[in-house]
Amino acid sequence: MADFHKADIEKLIDGVLPWPATQDMLKSAKDTDRFDKYVAIMQERVDFDEEILLPLTPMLFIVAKAGERIVQCRCGHAFGDYRVNWKLSALIHVRDDEKSMSEVYRGREMPDPAWIQLREYICGGCGAQLEVEAVPRGCPPDFDFLPDLDTFYSEWLGRPLPDKSEFKDLTLDRVAEWSE
Amino acid sequence: MVALSLMDQTKVYDEAFRKTGHVFGLEKLNRKDSDPGTYEAVWHILSNLCNAAWATGCKVSSSPIAAEGGDALWGLHTPTGEAICISRGISAHAGLLADMIKNFIAAGYEEYPGFKQGDIFENNDPHYGGIHSPDFDMCMPLFHEGELIAWASCVSHVADAGSVTPGSIGFLNPDCYSDGIAISMERVGEHDRFYPWYEKRIASRTRTPDFVMGDARGRLAGCITIRERLQEVIEKYGLDFFKEASREYVEDSRRYAVGRVKTQTVPGRIRKSQFKDLAMKGKRVLLAKQDVDCMFNMPMELTINADASVDLSLAGASGTVPFGENISPTALKSGLMMGYSHIVGFDMFNSGPISAWNIEMPPDGSWANPYPLDFQAASGVAWAPAVTWVSSLYEVFGRLFQMRGFIEEMAAGAGTIMTAEFSGINQNGMYLTGLTLEQASQGSPARGFADGENSAWCIYTPEADFGNAEISELYYPILFLGRNVAADSGGFGQFRGGLGHTAVWMVYNTPGLEYQCGDAGMRSKIVGNHGMYGAYPAVPDRPAYGHDTNVKELIDAQKPLIHDRGGPERPALASVIKAREVQDNAVAPFVTPEPLVDYDIIVHPIAGAQAMGDPIMRDPASVVNDLNERWTTERVASEVHAVVTSKQGGSYVVDEGKTEKKREKVRKQRIKRAIPFKDWWEKERKEVQAQAGMDPAVVQMWVSSMELSPKYAEELRKFWNLPEDFTFGAQ
Repeated sequence: MADFHKADIEKLIDGVLPWPATQDMLKSAKDTDRFDKYVAIMQERVDFDEEILLPLTPMLFIVAKAGERIVQCRCGHAFGDYRVNWKLSALIHVRDDEKSMSEVYRGREMPDPAWIQLREYICGGCGAQLEVEAVPRGCPPDFDFLPDLDTFYSEWLGRPLPDKSEFKDLTLDRVAEWSE
Repeated sequence: MVALSLMDQTKVYDEAFRKTGHVFGLEKLNRKDSDPGTYEAVWHILSNLCNAAWATGCKVSSSPIAAEGGDALWGLHTPTGEAICISRGISAHAGLLADMIKNFIAAGYEEYPGFKQGDIFENNDPHYGGIHSPDFDMCMPLFHEGELIAWASCVSHVADAGSVTPGSIGFLNPDCYSDGIAISMERVGEHDRFYPWYEKRIASRTRTPDFVMGDARGRLAGCITIRERLQEVIEKYGLDFFKEASREYVEDSRRYAVGRVKTQTVPGRIRKSQFKDLAMKGKRVLLAKQDVDCMFNMPMELTINADASVDLSLAGASGTVPFGENISPTALKSGLMMGYSHIVGFDMFNSGPISAWNIEMPPDGSWANPYPLDFQAASGVAWAPAVTWVSSLYEVFGRLFQMRGFIEEMAAGAGTIMTAEFSGINQNGMYLTGLTLEQASQGSPARGFADGENSAWCIYTPEADFGNAEISELYYPILFLGRNVAADSGGFGQFRGGLGHTAVWMVYNTPGLEYQCGDAGMRSKIVGNHGMYGAYPAVPDRPAYGHDTNVKELIDAQKPLIHDRGGPERPALASVIKAREVQDNAVAPFVTPEPLVDYDIIVHPIAGAQAMGDPIMRDPASVVNDLNERWTTERVASEVHAVVTSKQGGSYVVDEGKTEKKREKVRKQRIKRAIPFKDWWEKERKEVQAQAGMDPAVVQMWVSSMELSPKYAEELRKFWNLPEDFTFGAQ
């Protein structure tokens, strides 16, 4: 089984690992402790102390905080319960006319705003653009990933988390609160 | 002991799989465990045997699509149809070929007309599991001492399948009756020869019968190659070894894929919305019902279970379209298997990996399962929605690999597929119709550690080869004026997609040529929903052409011609060429209203792939490199990537200090400009309810999605807090 150095994985993340070494990683049997190494690297790079449970994206992390599992940006900005689509707690900028779309796409490269809108999800803490959606009006935001964290830790990694959390999408519950 | 029929054997295997979770019920891989060296060696021999069939078959076929582009595939299957291994070529078809054999067995063909050595069976009919008429699927049963021990299979993409419009990308077909020649689960030959009536049908019902029969002979030659080489394998290793090991290869491959899912992803639920436009209103169409713009809803919901099995749903898929862009569930599954083979199960590619998938039947009457409600639905280019949908799979697994730290395996979404087909008399006085291979070299998706590669990848085939320009010029009455990498065509992100290219053709030496700018998975009104990690998706496909031009005068006067697509606000065509008809920003797909003539110009863009990551996190050095290579523009460098540059000695250099300040300013502006999601939701839900600013194509898409998938509709209503009886369009 391959055993890649943490330093090389960091170089890979930064896009500076030489191509032959990258190819070696691609071709070799995978290292079984990659997840732990990756989390350790990201833990050193984020601006918060909470324990990372899962790197949801390179910028967003599910962390353990005060007995809860919440989504948190690299900068430490919190988005709440990981079972609610974090986009509902983000800032959003929507481009749905030619003027706003032309800041990105010009002339013949511009999509038709009557067909789609560009939704930019922004971190309220650091201003990072976390996701962009190009969808027609009416499309609910994608809940990109709802992990089954307890199954992952207990059955796949073999080390259960100290607490449990039901694998359930709570997004519509949040929306229902807004509707009351 | 009396041998079971293949139909009964299939039932036994299905039951064994249901009970054990192992393909064929193989809980142990005895051949692998007892002699791993031979096991591995024979796998490679079988794999190479398929590749030998590909090399032979493509050369026997005279069509440029196979001979130049390798657009074909050969496979070796178990007696019950599971693919053991396949050749290089269009791997998208492995599932189709396996299911075709299974369909022949399920339909009782073993009893009548029976299977014997030298039989040739074919299907290209989507109603019976085919994908679209130009893809001719063939299989031959292989016998050893009277026992059916395997099948050889093949698919090749013919130049013309006799559909209502010339060529093989029949997006304009209004119904299945216009899809062209149908080979509907037929025995088309015996004793290694095609029936004369098969050849006569091809002669009278396709426009390029020599090429189509050439492809048929190529398929046959490849299958016979497999048969003969397999005999050598059996003589050397024994029949028992072959039979047992071939089943183990399938189960082994399933285990590999399941293992990868378990060790490299995370259990949970992923959702990915995806959309595709097909804007045809006001264009040249065939029937009145086609004077309409369409939008496809092509959602993907994927659940990875605790046992690493994968559930997949298309709930919410929109209804059929009155064009040749509907696909059967069988064919869609094959497309999915192809995507999965690129991403997860690629060690021993065969039927194994997808056996761990539970694919929910797509909604009846949707583009992904048309026939229960729309039996006449056309499938002239069924790949169009399929590859657009499968593109989501790359991003989905890219996200999963990231979560486990396997950065080297990450990928963003794929590029689109817009095709160019010509029909008319070529420079040799010969009628010709067919597909160029330009679209077979898109950019590759951005990776987790680097940009994608330019013009080096294709979603539907690992043979990412656009062929030699000179060969295209040999067949078609065109001359290449340009074939070059297109700036800013790979989306905008920390890592961009590999860039696409532009082919610029001049029509030459023909009395008239139809140019069909076809849809095999393009987008022209919209961009894909591929804003992975904050990137902006790749630009829409917008071709251009000039008809009745002044190019001859320009050539005679030795003045500059056109060699690329030009900038988005200054298309090259209109700025260089004068013509009676100029379309420099055409919405694809379309067929030119009139045949093109000598010195007419076509500017045909080929897509780049998708990007990932916040554009202002892109390494300024990469931006500057792109500027110096002319792979990006000053505007994009400055306004999208927020990089400050200057020119020194003719080259761009980055001002790192100013760039950092500019990026910090952009971050602050973003926070100031954006609003809390809830504030937007409160405003937007009213706009949704009022259907404000929504194109009729979008409204109609939502109408059909909600009608066909009630649970999807319920969730959509709940999200926007709409009345329980709310439907789009009903105002």
